[in-house]
Amino acid sequence: MNRISLKLGACLALILGVGALPVKHALWGLLALPLLLLTALLAKLQWQALLARLAAALPFVLGVAGLALFGGAGFERFMALLVKSSVSILTLQLLTQTTPIAELLRALRRWHVPEVLCATISLLHRYLFLMADESKRMRRARAGRTLQSSRLALWRALGNSIGLLFVRTVSRAERVHAAMRARGGA
Amino acid sequence: MHIPDGFLSVRVAAGYGVLALVGVGLACYRVRAARERASSALLGVSAAFIFAAQMVSFPVAAGTSGHLVGGALAAALLGLPSAVVVMSSVLFVQCFVFGDGGLWSLGANVFNMALVGSLVGFCCYRLLCGAKPSPTRRVAALAFASWCATVVAAASCAGQLALSDTARLSVVLPAMLGVHALIGIGEAVITAIVLAAVLRFRPELLEMPGNASVSRQRARSIVGYGLGLSIAIAAVLAPIACDAPDGLSSVAQRLGFQDAERVGLVAAPLAEYSVPGLAAGVLATVLAGSAGALFLFGLCWLLALGLVPRASATSSEQVAAPSP
Repeated sequence: MNRISLKLGACLALILGVGALPVKHALWGLLALPLLLLTALLAKLQWQALLARLAAALPFVLGVAGLALFGGAGFERFMALLVKSSVSILTLQLLTQTTPIAELLRALRRWHVPEVLCATISLLHRYLFLMADESKRMRRARAGRTLQSSRLALWRALGNSIGLLFVRTVSRAERVHAAMRARGGA
Repeated sequence: MHIPDGFLSVRVAAGYGVLALVGVGLACYRVRAARERASSALLGVSAAFIFAAQMVSFPVAAGTSGHLVGGALAAALLGLPSAVVVMSSVLFVQCFVFGDGGLWSLGANVFNMALVGSLVGFCCYRLLCGAKPSPTRRVAALAFASWCATVVAAASCAGQLALSDTARLSVVLPAMLGVHALIGIGEAVITAIVLAAVLRFRPELLEMPGNASVSRQRARSIVGYGLGLSIAIAAVLAPIACDAPDGLSSVAQRLGFQDAERVGLVAAPLAEYSVPGLAAGVLATVLAGSAGALFLFGLCWLLALGLVPRASATSSEQVAAPSP
């Protein structure tokens, strides 16, 4: 067992354990919180990112839990869903914030995940931030040139810029491929 | 639509995990078999493109906003196997880098958004396109296909929540369908505009290898396989779900009997179709659903008409029609 398998296994086990708690005793899942917080402290995690993630996931969680509440399943189930999902989200945050993608990819390759998928994931991660920058640049260029934007114009501009982004994507992929070939890559 | 951990029961998460593994494995095999030009670079950069496109959110109704899922778009631009690989990588990175979705529910999320979304989008698009589609027909077909993909993926998500006994199917299905029928309209409009833009800038990209080679015949056979597969899944999952107190059978019963009118909420204008009795209730829902889908297809056609031809003067009011 190496580090990442251990970490992944521990996270999976914790989430599974909390998730498998029966509805009546789901509040016991809160016992995992001190452990998680202690780990987060030791790992010197960013609290803002942790809380932001929790806040971003909350609407969907509350929506489904609310459906359970008003769909006749009762308050107990509502609380159980809330506790289970928030503990799981925090656990996943711990995992993602302490695991660089390169480490994860190495583990994937060791587990014989198809190379196509590994290559796609690693290229995705590499070009993701570039792409986000490119779309930001395009948005800024549009904002600089468009005086008045109605809702209709906004939608059109959004769609057009995504289409243009795809065209740029393909040209970029051709360049990347040529560069990979030139350096002896696949 | 990213299901976090804690919502799915262990059995459902494991079952859909296996299904997702099989599906993604098959897609990887197909991609490797049809190794085409620039494939790995194109896949990776396209995945980054889908990721970036998902970050653009659009206003849906008052206050809420949706964002692109992109399964149908990816399937139309890259072909089905590549789309599945691209969408699963996006979901993987969203899970392991950004903590979006859950670890145990990753399989279910991949099943909904990468497999079901791409498959439904691809098949609808191909079947509606025909052999030699005009640009208008392409755009209309893709708009409708992406709406279908969003709605079916939402239905699949609702089904998983119901199978896990998290919420009743009769409550969660109309809620998910209602919201995603709206989000789907946004997705359809944006997808249509994107495709129209690609058609305008570089139409030859739509004739990429691995994309043009899949004919309508293939799409039909995929639909056949899909039907067979879903029956098999239902057959496998039903006994698993049955020993749960709120199993599939009781849900079907309840769906038909007591909650026919609540299911009818999805397409309220046709609610008077429902007649007492199981078969009639289901029939009414199906009828109302198909009528709604037909209506939407008409809107998609209008949208495509407005987007594609050189007559840009008429485009504005036709684009306005389907947007919420």
